[in-house]
Amino acid sequence: MRKSFIRRATQSPNIPTASTADVAFLLILFFMVTTVFRTSALHLKLKLPPAGATERILLRRNIAHLWVDTNGKVFIDDNVVPLDRVSVKMAPKVWENPELVTILNIDEGINYGVVDKVLDQLKDAKAFRITFATEFGS
Amino acid sequence: MALKEKIRKQPNIPTASMGDIAFLIIIFFMVSTVFTRDKGIKMLLPEKAEAGKEVKIKPENIVMITINPVGELRVKAAGHDEYLKPEQYNEVRKIVEEKLFEKDTLLVVSLRASRETAYKNMIAVLDQIKLCKVTTNDGRELRANKISLIPTSEE
Repeated sequence: MRKSFIRRATQSPNIPTASTADVAFLLILFFMVTTVFRTSALHLKLKLPPAGATERILLRRNIAHLWVDTNGKVFIDDNVVPLDRVSVKMAPKVWENPELVTILNIDEGINYGVVDKVLDQLKDAKAFRITFATEFGS
Repeated sequence: MALKEKIRKQPNIPTASMGDIAFLIIIFFMVSTVFTRDKGIKMLLPEKAEAGKEVKIKPENIVMITINPVGELRVKAAGHDEYLKPEQYNEVRKIVEEKLFEKDTLLVVSLRASRETAYKNMIAVLDQIKLCKVTTNDGRELRANKISLIPTSEE
């Protein structure tokens, strides 16, 4: 009995490292597959207004973006949409997902009249949950 | 003779550092990834008012804020009627907080921006309203949740 204990202690422990590479590549592949890229990255030149009450939006699945650029043009899904057609464009989205949050990326210099018309169109489309995109700051 | 000996030798690729390389790649991508989080001010729009279905609110529970084309404000509430310059926007917060403490959850802030005013001004005022936070006497935390954006067509 005693002898066998001693023999075990003298054996050098051996951790197999051959599969660490496989594990690491598996992690890379996992993150590559699960990463969702923003499909709606429209590179419009607009300056969002600053606000101290800015919050982060955590839900990423129920989001629709709407842009209004410096010229007052409205963009939804990479397309220019006339002001009076916004509700037509938004209604099917809300129909598909009633939890939809519309993020309004509007340039700070735009007249409020345009914003008001957009809000009115969103009400028509029943897209009641909105967020005014702002920058941190005051 | 010499050639044959070389062929017999087993070629050997070291794989011990493969894991290190793979983890290095993981760490590189983790560090270089930039998350583009959406951020902004949340609002819930009301349903379109139908004729006869309008909700009546007592005038003393309303704080009416009007923005003119130049960005000047008129803040009207029971006991208040003030004109504010664009650099005095933080006064809005004081007035709304005072009213919020007084009226509790009954308070409705109505924001009426002129069609010609810049969106920036409207957001600045909305920001002030959203920042309002009052602790009541019984320890509850109150915020100005009832904000109504009045359509400009009603001007």
